[in-house]
Amino acid sequence: MIKLESVTKVYKGEVLALHQASCDIQKGEFVFLVGQSGSGKSTFLRLLNKEEEPDNGKIFVAGKDIARLRRWRVPQMRRQIGSIFQDFKLLPNKTVSQNVAFALEVIGRPRHVIKTQVPAILDLVGLQTKMNRFPHELSGGEQQRVSIARAFVNRPLILLADEPTGNLDPATSVGIMRLLERINEIGTTVVMATHDRGIVDTMRRRVIELNNGEIVRDQARGVYE
Amino acid sequence: MARETLRNLRRNLTLTLASILTVAVSLSLLGIALLLQRGVSNATDRWQDGVEFIVFLEPDITDSQLGLVQEEIERSAAIESYRFVNQEESYREFNEDFFPENPEITQLVTKEIIPPSYRIIPKQLSAAAIEIVASGFETKPGVKKVVRATDEIQKIEKATDVIRWIVLGAGVILLGTGLLLILNTIRMAIFARRREIEVMKLVGASNSFILVPFMLEGTFQGLVGAALGTASVYGANRAFEEWLASENVLNILQSFAVGSGEVWGIGGLLFLVGALVGSVGSAIAAYRFLDV
Ligand SMILES: Nc1ncnc2c1ncn2[C@@H]1O[C@H](COP(=O)(O)OP(=O)(O)O)[C@@H](O)[C@H]1O
Ligand SMILES: [Mg+2]
Repeated sequence: MIKLESVTKVYKGEVLALHQASCDIQKGEFVFLVGQSGSGKSTFLRLLNKEEEPDNGKIFVAGKDIARLRRWRVPQMRRQIGSIFQDFKLLPNKTVSQNVAFALEVIGRPRHVIKTQVPAILDLVGLQTKMNRFPHELSGGEQQRVSIARAFVNRPLILLADEPTGNLDPATSVGIMRLLERINEIGTTVVMATHDRGIVDTMRRRVIELNNGEIVRDQARGVYE
Repeated sequence: MARETLRNLRRNLTLTLASILTVAVSLSLLGIALLLQRGVSNATDRWQDGVEFIVFLEPDITDSQLGLVQEEIERSAAIESYRFVNQEESYREFNEDFFPENPEITQLVTKEIIPPSYRIIPKQLSAAAIEIVASGFETKPGVKKVVRATDEIQKIEKATDVIRWIVLGAGVILLGTGLLLILNTIRMAIFARRREIEVMKLVGASNSFILVPFMLEGTFQGLVGAALGTASVYGANRAFEEWLASENVLNILQSFAVGSGEVWGIGGLLFLVGALVGSVGSAIAAYRFLDV
């Protein structure tokens, strides 16, 4: 599903963010990306949906070399990849259901599809009773659920999560992880960058560790360190 | 998408108005420069059949006075040829040549107040020679006015030439300003919506979906500016025509009149330029700040 072949990324010709990273992630896997702050985890994720371009190496997503993708094809590719973040990136002037619906509207989904899919996905993330709230009226955990709903409403093949529990307390984080596990069980490939030792150690999934932009460990059913 | 565009317009009303007005003023200036150019070229066309000066007679000239003028023309060795144009013909010419599309103006002018005239071609065509022959008629009884064609037209042409370049220059500079203002309005609109744009890219909205509302917004500003510009050019031409009609039917400026077909042609051009400025301005803004 995702394959990196000795990928190197250098910012502004001097900051080496990723150095000859290679790995192969199968469909349906759940992968933790760990490493110190600045080790290149976010860069890894941003390269996968073409927010950044590598300076060297090849990246394959769903079997396609994404460097050879035409510019106008990139949006199509991104529809297969959901993304969530530490800071949620919700639109503050839209309600919960409007935030989720927005993701479908802007890719031109017909209204009747939006009408049925939005409540269904809010049901899945457990927010059916808070559809008409605004983001500032929700807890952090609830906001992250909205952002997961938005990322997943279009049923992407891949979910990229960049420290999704970074702003949440441990109890709330557990709930979010349950949700991500459920999404993974349906067959979605999940790649999650995290600092959270507790989560990694209890879930025992594949762990890829980065250090100064190099993959220093790639371990099935691994731990944080 | 139209709703999206309208919402953007509302968000930045002052800046939007400034862009629209600047485009409007610059396009009016361009339009007026074009109007002047059309006028001069019309005047030259209308006098090109070689008539060098016209002796306008009083509408109520007596037969004996007319006889004396005619005799003077026939006797003069300096005159190559001439043609007498009676009231009937003058009136028709006035209607057909000068204001064919504007019956309102020709209604103001009745046949009785149109003067008959002699159109005269002298043997020698130097300005000095024409002046000697022409001025001889000025003091004759029954003669209302002697108009020297080339002379006057050239004078006006020279004056309008300078004005035209100034107006054109100012128009072009303002148009550049308008483009920058539109660019800035769009930049602000992009900035105001940066969060939404980020999400749109993330979930895979197509580039055109992100781009089109901003392009429409800029083009809309250019077009509204063009509409206002066209309106003021039309108004200016109308005012000129009405002034001509009320002031003095003998005014040589009559030959500078521009038909309404030509005015609409200029309007069409202004719309084109407005749309172009609007879409180029927003395209530059989108290219620089949208990064799609
Ligand atoms: N847009 C950028 N411009 C320049 N340097 C960057 C940029 N993004 C990240 N970096 C640098 O690249 C390195 C890796 O960053 P990042 O991928 O964000 O690491 P992590 O997510 O593991 O903290 C860091 O040294 C960071 O400062
Ligand atoms: Mg990071």
